[in-house]
Amino acid sequence: MSKEIKQKLVAYIMVIPAFLVVMLTVAYPIVSSVIKSFQDEDTGAFTLDNYAYFFTTPNQLKNILYTLFVVLVTVVLAIVIAYLLALYLRFTHSKIAKCIGTLYLLPRFVPAMCAVYAMITIIRDSGLINRIGLLFGQDWKLGLMYHASGMIVMNLWFNIPFATMMITAGLGAIPDSIVEGARDVGAGRLKVFRSMILPLSVKDVVIASTFVYMSNVGSFTTPYLMGGNAPKLLGIVLYDQFNKYLNYNRSAALSVIMFLLCAVSAGVYIYTNLKDNEWEAQ
Amino acid sequence: MFKYMNPRRFYYAVGRKKFFEFILLAIFILFFYGPLMNMLLLAFSNKYEVPAVIAQEWGFKWWDYVFSQKSLVSSIVQSFIVAIATTFISMIFCIPAAYSIARFKYPGRKIFMLSFLLTNAFPKIGIYTSIAVLFYKYGLMGTYPGVIIIHMINSMMFMVWLPSSAFRAVHRQQEEAARDVGAGPIRTFFKVTMPMAMPGISVATLYTFLGSMEEAQGTMLVGMGKIQTMPVAMYGIVLDSSAVQIGAVFAIILIIPSAVLIFLMRRYIGPEAIAGGFKMK
Repeated sequence: MSKEIKQKLVAYIMVIPAFLVVMLTVAYPIVSSVIKSFQDEDTGAFTLDNYAYFFTTPNQLKNILYTLFVVLVTVVLAIVIAYLLALYLRFTHSKIAKCIGTLYLLPRFVPAMCAVYAMITIIRDSGLINRIGLLFGQDWKLGLMYHASGMIVMNLWFNIPFATMMITAGLGAIPDSIVEGARDVGAGRLKVFRSMILPLSVKDVVIASTFVYMSNVGSFTTPYLMGGNAPKLLGIVLYDQFNKYLNYNRSAALSVIMFLLCAVSAGVYIYTNLKDNEWEAQ
Repeated sequence: MFKYMNPRRFYYAVGRKKFFEFILLAIFILFFYGPLMNMLLLAFSNKYEVPAVIAQEWGFKWWDYVFSQKSLVSSIVQSFIVAIATTFISMIFCIPAAYSIARFKYPGRKIFMLSFLLTNAFPKIGIYTSIAVLFYKYGLMGTYPGVIIIHMINSMMFMVWLPSSAFRAVHRQQEEAARDVGAGPIRTFFKVTMPMAMPGISVATLYTFLGSMEEAQGTMLVGMGKIQTMPVAMYGIVLDSSAVQIGAVFAIILIIPSAVLIFLMRRYIGPEAIAGGFKMK
């Protein structure tokens, strides 16, 4: 056996077990969900009713739109704030910037549920902010609990550090020398930003947005603990369909709807990465 | 010191730029750490009734309460069993795969790499419900293997991508040098490649372990109350807790492993190392 073939064989032997795990635990369930979503609950015959239920029932349609609203607001706010913060961290060399540069990494490691619980102790109607208000004789009712705005605040808490980290890693790859070079030949701050920093970091912005989007479409812990009764986020709707109503065909259909909502951004993500590799190959 | 309490004087004392930086820092800390700090205080508040901003009485009353509950203590044990098992099993599967993708060139390499994105590209709850249907069929609901499989799905992408980009950063010449002086491929891997790729591997392991410690939705769905890890127990506490302090105590217990591990691995944790887990290179 030639050395090359032997090496390839070793490579395949090393990668295949992990690949099979993914196929068995992710791809196979997804495929079986897709099949199930087209089957009637009782007879198993082909039907589109499971999908029709989510798009024609007014309440369910509202849930889908509500989820998209919460997710898109989260993505836009998180990315804009994260970008500004990342620019600040990259181009300011002060003690404060260094301090923030360490502190923003930690929320990523705080268990999601602790963070949600901690936020609840602040924003609930008898929470810290309300009590501080009472000190000054004000009875602030924030109304953040069981409302979209509360969940968006929580999503920002989770996603700003993450997006900042992704964008900072990208901005860190832009050498100081080219920025200084442009400044030396007379480019203004805005010009440097528009024609150098923005194009060089746009890929990381796209990657960060797709991940923020994907991780929020199916968010569960935040709406489970903070969300209201109606409308609901899709993660909760799916959990209810599965665990409360035991309707596996409808829950399969809803899974597929959620997969499709994410497939768009997964596609964008893959495209961005592959395009980058082509550029590297040249 | 007091003259700095007046915002106007502070503004003129430190200058415009510094002033805004301080405001940024203040907002940042209030938003990201304020809630956690408040929770920490709550955990040690024996009495915390409505108009009080901080505790009216301090102490360990609620810690005693939490540790006197049998179910809560057993959930701590179960959490560790699941997290340790998940970390080891996913290392066994993923580290070789990461090495293979980083070091060898073969047809289908990109596809293998992309397949791990599957685990993170779709809503977890959708994957969990899809798996749960199959688990019913194979009798894995409410068992340790079932829960561990769910936790592994969470971690596979980082566990392959992060070590893979770490392995790629190790220069091939260094491996070759070791081979030249007579080390076998396995020895080279453990003595040369592995130590140099350690930062990436550690961050990935850390993620897997902590991810498993905090995983709640999938464990709740598949564990069916038989496997109750700390976060699952906490769902119950948050939703029907009589006192806000019980949840606070529990949340602090839940944070401790993260805090300890991050402290131990602090020199490996940086934006570049973590971001590597989200990019295909």
